[in-house]
Amino acid sequence: MLRNKKIAAVLALVLMFALVVTGCGGQKPAEQGENAVPAKEEIVVAQGADAKSLDPHATNDQPSSRVMKQIYNTLVTANEDMEIVPGLAEKWEQKDEKTWEFDIRKGVKFHNGEELKASDVKFTLERMLKSDKVAHIVEAIESVEAPEDYKVVIKLKEPFGPILSHLSHTAASILNEKAVTEAGDNYGQNPVGTGPFKFSNWQAGDKIELVANEEYFEGAPAIKKVTFRNITEGTNRTIGLETGEVDIAYDIEPIDKDKVRNNEKLTLIEEPSLSLAYIGFNVNKEPFNKKEVRQAINYAINRDDIITAVLNGAGEKAGAPIGPKVFGHNPNIKPYEYNVEKAKELMKQAGLEGGFKTTLWTNDNPVRVQIAQIIQAQLKEIGIDVAIETLEWGSYLDRTARGEHDMFILGWVTVTGDADYGMYALFHSSAKGGAGNRTFYENPQVDELLEKGRTSVDTSEREKAYFEVQKIVVEEAPAANLYYQTQNVGMQKGIKGFRLHPAGHHRLFGVSY
Amino acid sequence: MHKYVFRRLLMLIPVLLGVTFIVFSIMYMTPGDPAQMILGEKAPAEAVERLREEMGLNDPFLMQYGRFVKNAMMGKFGRSYTTNREVFAEIFSRFPATLQLASLGVLIAVAIGIPVGIISATKQYSLFDSISMIAALIGVSMPNFWQGLMLILLFSVYLGWLPSGGYGGFANFILPALTLGTSSAAIITRMTRSSMLEVIRQDYIRTARAKGVNEKTVVNKHALKNALIPVITVVGLQFGYLLGGAVLTETVFSWPGVGRLLVDAIKQKDTPMVQATVVFIAVTFSFVNLGVDILYAFVDPRIKSQYK
Repeated sequence: MLRNKKIAAVLALVLMFALVVTGCGGQKPAEQGENAVPAKEEIVVAQGADAKSLDPHATNDQPSSRVMKQIYNTLVTANEDMEIVPGLAEKWEQKDEKTWEFDIRKGVKFHNGEELKASDVKFTLERMLKSDKVAHIVEAIESVEAPEDYKVVIKLKEPFGPILSHLSHTAASILNEKAVTEAGDNYGQNPVGTGPFKFSNWQAGDKIELVANEEYFEGAPAIKKVTFRNITEGTNRTIGLETGEVDIAYDIEPIDKDKVRNNEKLTLIEEPSLSLAYIGFNVNKEPFNKKEVRQAINYAINRDDIITAVLNGAGEKAGAPIGPKVFGHNPNIKPYEYNVEKAKELMKQAGLEGGFKTTLWTNDNPVRVQIAQIIQAQLKEIGIDVAIETLEWGSYLDRTARGEHDMFILGWVTVTGDADYGMYALFHSSAKGGAGNRTFYENPQVDELLEKGRTSVDTSEREKAYFEVQKIVVEEAPAANLYYQTQNVGMQKGIKGFRLHPAGHHRLFGVSY
Repeated sequence: MHKYVFRRLLMLIPVLLGVTFIVFSIMYMTPGDPAQMILGEKAPAEAVERLREEMGLNDPFLMQYGRFVKNAMMGKFGRSYTTNREVFAEIFSRFPATLQLASLGVLIAVAIGIPVGIISATKQYSLFDSISMIAALIGVSMPNFWQGLMLILLFSVYLGWLPSGGYGGFANFILPALTLGTSSAAIITRMTRSSMLEVIRQDYIRTARAKGVNEKTVVNKHALKNALIPVITVVGLQFGYLLGGAVLTETVFSWPGVGRLLVDAIKQKDTPMVQATVVFIAVTFSFVNLGVDILYAFVDPRIKSQYK
């Protein structure tokens, strides 16, 4: 009997333990969206990964940028049409080829109550230049001076045309010197900005909560609380929309798009992004050193098939390596047509009528794997026997940077919206390998044009140079540009004022519900 | 008993050394350069090289491992490559979610598994037995993620009763705990049934019945207690597994648990995070095992006398 009691006691203890443990997580009852009042002041945004850090200099990934965009401001901003508009700088002026002067907005307060001064801008950009993760974005900067409280002078190493686009990057968000110094190593979890929303709470792996900054210099936001939820699975983001638990869901899976579109409570918006998907050839290797072979592959790929089958239509056929939303895009360049006969002829010219064996590398991204399979089938038509190799992301980057590959699939996002960012790294001979030029393409004329585009400050001159680069690199075809990906967002019908930003980090200021 | 526990705790040391060595070797051998991963694909090569040097990645393997062990002994597991947070701070911020889910899951599993197992065994070949064994078979075979999705579809999308995922109040627990609980319940049911069947055929049970002890007492007192040892083992193992994070269930329910933390860390080759998470899981598993062994002593006095 006694022993029975003991067992009972142990069981009771386990039970109590379990109840206590499970109970302590539930500080508040589940909030269901259903019974809310019509004009909601809180919105839940779902994305596929948690932010890594909210220190703009500690990371450069999309999920983090999407949150930081709400917390911080940049000196200048690229709006949804990719035009440069004032941010924390009211106006700016180019003093000479290498000197830019910015007038800082007066009376802007950081979330910790400090007032924004030119010294914060100087501190931020100098700190950014020391960060290995994001320094490349502002590497053109030689020095930053703050001669007056509201004036910043940026001196460049050499003339750099796209400097304003680079300063509009979320990584160039302006920080408060005091807040950064105080938080030390933990700044990434305690961000302080000037933006429309203040950081409030971060449940790692689950959600980040932001609250409205009532003193925001463009006015108080209509939404009082924003929750960024980390919902890894695309299906679950769609389910969240359907049940009303999520108000705005980023990146609806292709397969779920019709479901969102056909739901009368939801809307789906879709627009081109700044990203390109391409197949790169290792031009140092046989037979990809032959232009005819590279062109033949370009002709043999049916881009429409890929866009329909893999992306469910969420893409636009690519000709030039930079898309229509990017400054410098050459609209006269058409995508390679799908023409197997022409491809065969080119193979013949290259002396490879009988085809050849090669490999196509991809990382384990399912979209890329599917594209690889389609291309494998399409290239068989012209006698090329492709073996697909799937690599883990780290080694994929590593080994393509070392030039061990034949062909590979990658994407490139021109986040700054300027041709320089989109093409210098991909085609300049100095960027071979890990810096971006994984095709190891080299052409002195292209180098020269890219340098001209980078250093010139005359917009039309820059545009001319980039038009020419695109013509050359499409003709010489170190890569087969596949498509510009469109991006989408699914949301509740009641959401107003939401616009997609081509760079993918959408602004929530101005959104109401 | 105390000595026994102390000895068991000492045995943790070689276990942990083994675990860390294996994990460290695997992370070392897998391709991909941590420095490149940290800095991103657009970082200049000199910066990557500088960081490699700084992190000691150019040192020989054993030197790197030795440094890791030395730091680990001082409780320094480092900061995550991706988030730059203290790895244990991050694990501890995730662990409550996992612990709560695992506890509730096991509770559900025990509440279903043991009674159903007992009834099935005492009424072998009855309709109840057949139905529960088929149900258990389904429970064991059904993949967790699929079951999770079906539950979401039914209770969140169609009925709108429960949230479809995320961490928060009690309502958020129900679906993931049910998903975990029912599949564990299936295993526990089968274990309880077979263990009971074995015991119930033994002579002393027949003797008890012959003495005229009523059936309820025979089952609950004489048979169950002896049948419980293997069941406790299974329950302990299940609990241990769940504490290690039920990755699929956590993913389906967007649950911020340790399992997902580990998988994300592996994907990003975040070595310090992988190391610390695996060590942590190994320690919790060892503790659960120790707990189970101590529990044996309560159930079976013969075992208690062996714990010296």
